[in-house]
Amino acid sequence: MTRRKFALLSGAAVVGAYGGVQAQKLQKPSKLSDGPAGKSNVTIIRARSYSDDLVSRMLDGIRECGLDVRGKRVLLKPNLVEFDPATVINTNAAVIAAAVEVFTRLGASEVKIGEGPGHRRDTLDMADDARYRAAIPNFERIFTDLNRDDVSPVQGFGGEPEFYFPNTVLGADLIVSLAKMKTHHWAGATLSMKNFFGVVPGSVYGWPKNKLHYYGIPESIVALNRQFGKKSFAIVDGIVGMEGNGPIQGTPKPVGVLVLGSDLVAVDSTCCRIMGIDPEKVSYLRLAADIGHVHRERIEQRGESIRAVETSFALIDDFKDLRLV
Amino acid sequence: MYLESRLEFLRANQNPDGGWGYFPGKGSWMEPTTYAMLALHGTASDSTLDRAWKLVRSWQLADGSFRPSGEVKEGTWVTSLAVTLASVRGVGDAGIRASVDWLLRVVGAEHNIWTRTGSFLHLIKAKLDVSHEGWPWREGNATWIEPTAHTLVALKQAPGQYRGDEVNGRVRDGEDLILSRRCTDGGWNYGTPNMLYVDLPSYPETTALALLGLLGRDDRDYPGALNLAERFHAETKSSLGKAWLQIALRCHGRDVAGPEGSGWWQARDVMLAALEALGHPEGNYKLFCAAGKS
Repeated sequence: MTRRKFALLSGAAVVGAYGGVQAQKLQKPSKLSDGPAGKSNVTIIRARSYSDDLVSRMLDGIRECGLDVRGKRVLLKPNLVEFDPATVINTNAAVIAAAVEVFTRLGASEVKIGEGPGHRRDTLDMADDARYRAAIPNFERIFTDLNRDDVSPVQGFGGEPEFYFPNTVLGADLIVSLAKMKTHHWAGATLSMKNFFGVVPGSVYGWPKNKLHYYGIPESIVALNRQFGKKSFAIVDGIVGMEGNGPIQGTPKPVGVLVLGSDLVAVDSTCCRIMGIDPEKVSYLRLAADIGHVHRERIEQRGESIRAVETSFALIDDFKDLRLV
Repeated sequence: MYLESRLEFLRANQNPDGGWGYFPGKGSWMEPTTYAMLALHGTASDSTLDRAWKLVRSWQLADGSFRPSGEVKEGTWVTSLAVTLASVRGVGDAGIRASVDWLLRVVGAEHNIWTRTGSFLHLIKAKLDVSHEGWPWREGNATWIEPTAHTLVALKQAPGQYRGDEVNGRVRDGEDLILSRRCTDGGWNYGTPNMLYVDLPSYPETTALALLGLLGRDDRDYPGALNLAERFHAETKSSLGKAWLQIALRCHGRDVAGPEGSGWWQARDVMLAALEALGHPEGNYKLFCAAGKS
């Protein structure tokens, strides 16, 4: 099977056909919001390979962000979508393993991992393929398949009177979006914010989470972040990202960074700038500009500078106009 | 021995409310409860299954649909599982009639004038036949192979008094939808066989479910699919895919090896335990086969 064939696999198929149509309905705000008061910190840490001392690097980055996790129940949310040994679809197991150790060392009362893939039902088999079980100590004890977790309702999400989320997600004090730095053929880029699609339970909404596509991909990304953003932190795995026809069929793109921060809008905007994408042109970031910072001057960049690590990602034709100039 | 260990696991993990969770100690859900009930059918005490059935019936809504769990207030695709259970238990009351009616009302969202027009004008980036209705996971969403297959199994087993032209028509159209979405490799993907005009691969679990949905249909309509399913069965590492393939292949008269029980999570996955028990050579896979005899 060619990678491109493998690529779009299933979920993206119908989802894309309809979700893409929905995305075009988006009414982009004419003027980009200035965002909340003040500035947001985003830290860029160098990590040239997965065999680097990621624990030390991550600890440096988290301290730089001033995050206090003592006594908190922490849920790590990786991006586990599909497995293809020829490319880099998922958050690397080494990054997750490092995060487990880091948040435990920093005094979290509990560190769990949870994911609910979009179209594949055999989550645990995929986690095995992605070497999560092999690389992450006690993986089977701390992992929850969010697609099959027990759920509770929240009010008013997604235009519905009640929307159901996994209890593991609702019960966490801090959700760490352990995203992958990738381009995305419907959203432009998939980073820490879109990673929240995986918290919507398939047991209620099916595989894929079609409700999100009908509601609108950018709108759903933003709604999920309005719901969970205030108790979230992002660590984006940009050690090797994916360019081109992401999120599944793209090409590996080494960047050699981890990008961290509590303002997920600012983290994603920074990642976009690293990737050579103008975040002010990305629909979901424009929509999210009132809950976090997109403007460059409102983001305090720490660690490495964007200029030092910028790596232009190949974009599919539909998104050429997102290129940062 | 292996079958008994799976059944014992199910018996040991029945919740006090009568149902089963996806995992031991978790709340009851329709999906694992259905498969556990089918796996234990004829092997467990009447009271075990009666308690489970009572719980399932408590999840039915006024419109005939069933909720996926006690917590969720909305009816979904699991209504098809309830209809299958009712048929196996010989229940054919007005409530189940309402469930069949609900299934007949629900169609995939892409079967509307806008999408059909979009398809005609090549605005949809997939080779997609939207002339068929099929079934979605959730009302108002797009048709998907799995819920369509589950609903075909349910409607084909539905008691005779429900079988009218409308049921027969939807069944035939649902089968045609599955056939229209066959991948070029001979099996079935989750959604469509093609996206952005690129052919997509099939998967073991979706191929198995599509074959269950097609039970009773002449296999000359899908040449080579059973051979592909056998190859998937021999090669896949996915325990879930293997379990569904065992059920589907046996129902299609193919002899396949029984489950091996090597997955590290098998000790804690209730749904998988039930499906493996159903797919065992001496398991209750025949409860699905009845769909092909209608």
